[in-house]
Amino acid sequence: MDKLDKLKENWQSEEHELPKVSFDKIYKMLLKKSSSIVKWIFVISIIELLFWISLYFILPEDNINMMKELGLERVMYYCEIFHFFIFGIFIILFYKNYKSIQVTDSTNVLMQNILNTRKTVRYFVYYNVGMTIAFSVAIDTYLYNNSEKLYEVMDFAKQGIPKEGFANIFIISQIIVGFVIIALLILFYWLVYGILLKKLKGNYRELKKINS
Amino acid sequence: MDKKLEHRFVKLLEANQNIVHKICRLYTNDKDAHDDLFQEITIQLWRAFPKFRGDSKFSTWMYRVALNTAITLYRKSKRQIDTQDFESLSFKIKSEEYDDTTEQQLKLMYDAVKKLNDIDKALVFLYLEDKSYREISGTLGISEVNARVKMNRAKDKLRKILNP
Repeated sequence: MDKLDKLKENWQSEEHELPKVSFDKIYKMLLKKSSSIVKWIFVISIIELLFWISLYFILPEDNINMMKELGLERVMYYCEIFHFFIFGIFIILFYKNYKSIQVTDSTNVLMQNILNTRKTVRYFVYYNVGMTIAFSVAIDTYLYNNSEKLYEVMDFAKQGIPKEGFANIFIISQIIVGFVIIALLILFYWLVYGILLKKLKGNYRELKKINS
Repeated sequence: MDKKLEHRFVKLLEANQNIVHKICRLYTNDKDAHDDLFQEITIQLWRAFPKFRGDSKFSTWMYRVALNTAITLYRKSKRQIDTQDFESLSFKIKSEEYDDTTEQQLKLMYDAVKKLNDIDKALVFLYLEDKSYREISGTLGISEVNARVKMNRAKDKLRKILNP
């Protein structure tokens, strides 16, 4: 291919045309932050954790009192601790993925690391969605079985809501709200992590092409 | 942070920065994207530097990290392929062989290389850098035979781009 060889001949002679970055400027660049995708997965997971934690602080006092009266306070407390513990493990895993994706790695190792990152994110989403579903089902079942107590605690009589059929209406509305919340959660993950994972998948494909 | 290590790294990168600029020029289309990729490669090189043990030349190691960054870790949305940077290339041909046609042909060839996919581009880039197939295979982590096969395929693609 003559034309490519001509370009090759010319290639080295062009060097003086290239920009020159000074020693000081390169030095300053070392302090800047990387914009790699894996780093964003790590950052977003931390922001997400902070968001969930902040929700507990803005939860109205009435809600907490209601949980107390329904006898759910202790269970909720242990669930939260368990949930944040698992969340913490995922953040450590995300951090490890971020650290392990080194560009010097051989292509195979890099591909494996990309696969691992994708896997961690997938498990993270499965865990969160699964946990939300399990938690909602458990709470709703408990409240359904203790609907009389709930009727009293919430003071529904004062609001003119009849006692008959209350449990059924309550459970139906809880299921509808639960579906909406889960749908929003899935939409959030699909938007945020879906986009990042798609980019990672693209990169994985590029790497695979080298070995094919 | 180890100041001595920092100083050594920056000195080495400053001396070898042409490699990074050439990769940036091949993988981006405007100055902003070029600077952006240059910075990202610098960061990745610095992150990986403690692992550089000096068993290969710094420049050889740099090819690998810089190309991997351009291919995989760089956010691609910033570098859509277009051809409007023709003017910015300005190839300088040795005066005795200068003529419009040669310059135009070089521009077309360069444009065709830019149209290749990321991997083929990396192969052609190393070829243009006058690297042997052994060095190309080492940098891209593939066998020498595979490197030759892929290079031939890339050349075919270039032919097709130039003569559709």
